[in-house]
Amino acid sequence: MIKTPSDMKSYKKQLREALKDKFLRNALDNFNTAYRENRPIVYENIDFKGIRDSIATAKDEALPHLTRLFEEFKKHAEAAGAKVHTAKDGRQANELIERIAKESRVKRIVKSKSMTAEETFLNDHLEEKGFKVTETDLGEWIIQLRHEGPSHMVMPAIHLSRYQVGELFERVTKKKLDPENIDNLVKVARKELRHAFLEADMGISGANFAIAESGTLGLVTNEGNMRLVTTLPRVHVALVGFDKLIPDFKSALRVLKVLPRNATGQALTSYVTWIKGANPCEASPIGEKEMDIIFLDNGRLALAKDPVFSEALRCIRCGACANVCPVYSKIGGHKYGHVYIGAIGLILTLFYHGKESDRAIVRNCINCQACKEVCPAGIDLPHLIKKTYRAVLDEDGKKPVKNLLLSKVMKNRKLFHFLLRQAYLAQKPLAGKSAIIRHLPYFFEKQHGFRSLPVIARTPFRDRWPQLYRKVINPEYTVALFAGCAIDFIYPEQAEALVELLKDHNVQLEFPTDQSCCGLPAMMAAEEETAKYLAIQNIKTMSSGRYDYILTQCASCASHLKHNYPRILHGDPERTNLELFTEKIIDFSSFVVNVLKIETKQLTAPPKKVAYHSPCHLCRGMDVTEEPRMLIEAAGHRYVESKDEDVCCGFGGSYSVDFPEISSEILRKKLDNVEQSGAEVLVTDCPGCVLQLRGGFDKRGGRIEVKHIAELLADKE
Amino acid sequence: MQRSDLILKMKDNAEKVQTVVSIIENFKAAVQYVVALTKHQGGKTLAAPDLTASELDLLKNHCEKEGLTFLAVPLRAHADNIHTALTYADWGIAETGTLVMDACSENLRIATMLSDIHVAVLPAEKIKPTSEALENKLNEKLKGNSASYTAFITGASRTADVERVLAIGVHGPIELHILIMEGPTE
Repeated sequence: MIKTPSDMKSYKKQLREALKDKFLRNALDNFNTAYRENRPIVYENIDFKGIRDSIATAKDEALPHLTRLFEEFKKHAEAAGAKVHTAKDGRQANELIERIAKESRVKRIVKSKSMTAEETFLNDHLEEKGFKVTETDLGEWIIQLRHEGPSHMVMPAIHLSRYQVGELFERVTKKKLDPENIDNLVKVARKELRHAFLEADMGISGANFAIAESGTLGLVTNEGNMRLVTTLPRVHVALVGFDKLIPDFKSALRVLKVLPRNATGQALTSYVTWIKGANPCEASPIGEKEMDIIFLDNGRLALAKDPVFSEALRCIRCGACANVCPVYSKIGGHKYGHVYIGAIGLILTLFYHGKESDRAIVRNCINCQACKEVCPAGIDLPHLIKKTYRAVLDEDGKKPVKNLLLSKVMKNRKLFHFLLRQAYLAQKPLAGKSAIIRHLPYFFEKQHGFRSLPVIARTPFRDRWPQLYRKVINPEYTVALFAGCAIDFIYPEQAEALVELLKDHNVQLEFPTDQSCCGLPAMMAAEEETAKYLAIQNIKTMSSGRYDYILTQCASCASHLKHNYPRILHGDPERTNLELFTEKIIDFSSFVVNVLKIETKQLTAPPKKVAYHSPCHLCRGMDVTEEPRMLIEAAGHRYVESKDEDVCCGFGGSYSVDFPEISSEILRKKLDNVEQSGAEVLVTDCPGCVLQLRGGFDKRGGRIEVKHIAELLADKE
Repeated sequence: MQRSDLILKMKDNAEKVQTVVSIIENFKAAVQYVVALTKHQGGKTLAAPDLTASELDLLKNHCEKEGLTFLAVPLRAHADNIHTALTYADWGIAETGTLVMDACSENLRIATMLSDIHVAVLPAEKIKPTSEALENKLNEKLKGNSASYTAFITGASRTADVERVLAIGVHGPIELHILIMEGPTE
């Protein structure tokens, strides 16, 4: 049985251990990069977004009717000789399978891969009852021999090296094996497991689809073991989650267009098998198989009716949310999930295995949106993770101190800004005359020292604004600046660069001073009420003037204002002016390129080689990718490509404070990639990323300058 | 799509997943192909559970001549000893190079799952461009009241479970061959 720590202290201890595993990190980092690079090739000529949206719609339509779909499935499957059962939880499912096995005088069982069986810890149960159970999927067999759980939903043994597998197989075969020859390692499984298939009395599988209109199961596999598991033994038990029910064959074929592509980069897996009823079986005394199908509830039926969380049941188990996750790629699946791994695991764990197993892991999302972008069922995973975190807090009935402070301070703008000003005074002795703190005071733990920190500005942007304000007669556009806390209080020069740039354009800039924090930090901490309070306040503030655009230079603020506000205020009576507000939100680069349409600058100094870091909340949050790169050229410089430009820098707001070691690892890879590009300057469009990247490069000696893209554009040289 | 285009597409996409594809004129060529292949690989046995009586005679004679053992049904008795399986495929899906087989017969399943080498004869007129083009036909079968076992087969069995390195031939066939049989044109 898997144990997942329920408190942050033990969890962090485990994370530190995991981060020491260099093989794991290398393997997963390479996987992360390779997966993303291969993706456009795999999806050539396939309308991913179109199929994703239709899967989401179809799943959402089916979920409220799971019991009806079940009845329909049952009728058809039983007409073809299968027996169809239900189990309300894992224990009932395990006991039912045990009973079937006993009644059919089963001794030996072969299994093909099933996450649902992992969910119920079926092997533990059957072995305890004296059955011989053999996992036959290569990865599953490996982890069964090692007494481990899977570390990935599709590739369960991805955390192991060929040497570890070789050593294990030498023990099993008692023969010398060459671990470099992976083909031969695979053949060990072929040879060793053949007799297990032939001797087994019962085969247990999962299923990817349960098609209601015909009572057919659909199974998507590669190794060929599932076909043997469902063919050779005289009894076949399929353990299937209620969420696998779909209305028709058409829906299954649609999912097949993206499931293999997303999971393993294949257009189609080697085998897709459609099984209905009791097929012929020579090993059975009656000449046909005993076929039992068990539908597992374990919280699914309630979840399907939940207005927020039912979305999680759209999951088709492709595993891609782990593949692209920068956190997963640093710590591996054993530390990034309980039974279910990756972003979806952080959510499902609460519902299938309870809050104790989810309490710590659910906090480990950096909110980079990479999973959301690749999810073939359109699940807003980062959003649901925060909702899940909140549900854990609510079940616990007590909140961390950070949350209490956040809600108290953030709801009072004047108090919040007062405290930020005080912070400047508190930091002064640490920074001296510099704008950067290189050595953290003793009350910080040493793991926070991976980057230098900026000091709070002596004079925030809001105090500089009266001197900067310029009245424009008959402006072409009137634009409200939403500065965001980081620019207002840490990097006012980034907003000043904007003011400077606009001097050459017929644009009236306004700075409504009642604006407060966008509320993203509150949402990250699952302080929903505070996030809502701030949303309403900001919309009100920005609705007071007649603005053509609401411009923000912070990517995180931009995507939060534009895309999270509608979710936060969903169904709220105070959502007046919401659409008017969100449609005006624009990021800096899009504004300069698409609205101002600036011309390429003629530099007096030679152009520099400039790399670009694509902020998560700009490229995925706002879907803006071209404009910033065009701006670098428009600023008269040369854009140089670097690897993984659109991968998170590791900041994630308070994430980097909660999980400094992971943040630091993500940053390290980012900085390495930028250094390899040969760039002299690195630009990005988010003050949070600037903080992380500049702090990181400062620790490396400051050879590469880090700027907000507005600063690059406003440079006088 | 023209039949010749479909054949090309089928071949192309099947080869992308390491399937060996040949185009043959008639069943006799298939018999020659499997026997030669089996001998070349040092195999001794051959199974072909779904042939017509005359096709079976042809194959058996050829096996006998070349010193190969033809495995008679039920194949369960030979389950661990099938070198080559020769079967028909019911349909082809050109878009992915996939074979579709109605594999309700246990002998057919054992042959295609436990052999080292699976050779499938695919009549050219049975190639469809996409899985959607087959949707209604297959669904008719699924919606009937009898038990069924329908297989989509795309290449040989494979895994990437060790260090994500692709390895061909895990529990199912190590090689898949498709013989596209160009019968009379439509």
